[in-house]
Amino acid sequence: MAEVTLSNVRKSYGAVDIIHGVDLEIRDGEFVVLVGPSGCGKSTLLRMVAGLETITGGDIRIGGRVVNDLDPKDRDIAMVFQNYALYPHMTVATNMGFSLEHRGTSKAQIAERVKWAADILGLTHLLDRYPRQLSGGQRQRVAMGRAIVRDPQVFLFDEPLSNLDAKLRVVMRGEIKSLHQKLKTTTVYVTHDQVEAMTMADKIVVLNGGRVEQIGAPLDLYDRPANQFVAGFIGSPSMNFLNGTITAEGFAAPGIVLPLPETAHQWRDRKAVYGIRPEHFTLDDNGVPAEIILVEPMGSETQVTMKLGETQVTGVFRERVRLSPGETIRARPDLANIHLFAADGGQRLN
Amino acid sequence: MKAELSPRMKTALYGLMCVLLIPFVFPTWWMVTSSVKPISDIFAFPPQFIPQHYDWTTYSKVFELQPFVQQYWNSAYIAAAVTIGTMVISSMAGYAFARIRFPFANTIFMIVLLGLLIPSEVTIVPLFQMFLKAGMVNTHWPLILVPIFGAPSVFATFVMRQFFVTLPNELEEAARVDGLGRFKIFHKIALPLAKPALASVAIFTFLHSWNLFLEPIVFLSSADKFTLPQALTQYTDAYGGPMWNIQLAAATLTALPVLIVFIIAQKQFVEGLAHTGLKG
Repeated sequence: MAEVTLSNVRKSYGAVDIIHGVDLEIRDGEFVVLVGPSGCGKSTLLRMVAGLETITGGDIRIGGRVVNDLDPKDRDIAMVFQNYALYPHMTVATNMGFSLEHRGTSKAQIAERVKWAADILGLTHLLDRYPRQLSGGQRQRVAMGRAIVRDPQVFLFDEPLSNLDAKLRVVMRGEIKSLHQKLKTTTVYVTHDQVEAMTMADKIVVLNGGRVEQIGAPLDLYDRPANQFVAGFIGSPSMNFLNGTITAEGFAAPGIVLPLPETAHQWRDRKAVYGIRPEHFTLDDNGVPAEIILVEPMGSETQVTMKLGETQVTGVFRERVRLSPGETIRARPDLANIHLFAADGGQRLN
Repeated sequence: MKAELSPRMKTALYGLMCVLLIPFVFPTWWMVTSSVKPISDIFAFPPQFIPQHYDWTTYSKVFELQPFVQQYWNSAYIAAAVTIGTMVISSMAGYAFARIRFPFANTIFMIVLLGLLIPSEVTIVPLFQMFLKAGMVNTHWPLILVPIFGAPSVFATFVMRQFFVTLPNELEEAARVDGLGRFKIFHKIALPLAKPALASVAIFTFLHSWNLFLEPIVFLSSADKFTLPQALTQYTDAYGGPMWNIQLAAATLTALPVLIVFIIAQKQFVEGLAHTGLKG
């Protein structure tokens, strides 16, 4: 196990900058998720840690050792790839023991380690099969087995669940998390799925356009996003945004004035973005008028698309509400959970 | 879903296929049957598609008139050497062109491919002079070296490159993380996965070498060094006319191993060509 430190890490392809100076501290045993939209540089960053991509500038340290110029094999890392990358011509056991074989480990030790990993991942009965004879979930487990068998200092996961169906993804998410709790190996995990990030991470790093937007614990990011991008990216359904101006009466958005907390008045007359998560609306006679557009009952909650003034927003109500499109209701925004962002740049104000 | 053909349509289809088969099967049938006919029956009119009289002595004469066993051995070991050499070179070159980034890789690959456009007849005279100077004329070296470094190897390199291009990058990256260097990745990961392409390279290289005719005629002059295609021309009577039935018996014996190899390995042959994106 080891800590991983990225100091001003940069990557360019010719004149095009892909990663613009990333600083990141990953503590020993921590589970860190790099999350962001497609093309944000999260996989590139992970591959730079793995040594599969060269770095243009800065330093990467694993266990205190600068690894910028080391080959992947000398970094003491193990990686799980999106498409599993199992060797098709080798059995599960050979796949798992392959890296040990090339590090001069004795056959008896390899067999012991493979058995240990197979026991942990429930693969014992599959050891003699070939990857083509396995289901997607089993292949994913073999890929993890190949990673843990070597007991590396750091695990790197590159969107490992994106090829699985939704149900299996939830199962495997739990398995990876419990594997980490068992082994306590430092883990860097890349995903574009914010639900994966929220449920698995000790710490989330939100990336956008090759820059770190925010680093923090999942609930910190959810409750206090540093900017409008993070606020919109984390959470599903995503946060509602209304453009307008902070006034003495409240937040003046097109066609409606929304209530603001007392503290917001320090930014009076400033153009801003009013952010509110769907679950932070309550049905209340003292609320603001909202015209119902669409009602989606989910069983555990009801998702309602409605119009606040001229802006369409989503509300999620835990109670069973009977609403129909065209009806006007009164919805009250929870003042403790209002997020205000600067209209220019999107930085958090409150 | 595929529609099931009616029995009548099926019969018509198989009938048509049988007719289309005739031009492909007839020469082989004629060769095999004529090899056991007396010469007069070969040219009889109307033609005898099924022999009326059998003359099996033609096969023993094949071995009496020429050192046929020695010539068989010559063809076999030359084809084996060419096949192994071509497989080694084309797999490594194909891998390098497909997976290693080096300056002007595509330009160099194009230049290599241009080798396919030069007919062997054009280079045969300079090659003869070169091998003459090297003291290799009337040895088997030219028949081994020319294909290994010539057009067959270029085609094989192309086939191998097309295969290696399709291998997922992640496999190599996983191998790098697992601790393998470039050569071991080639040897332990890429090459075992390239078996279908390698099999087709082996088959068509072997066939090419086995059937080679121009080069043996140019480079070899003594009967005990001849290869089979060249030996076939030697079954002549005192006036230089061909002894058809003996020649066809020798031709049948010559074609036999090739037919067997092709029947056994035709699946790999077709699969390998499919990987190249070429049609057979």
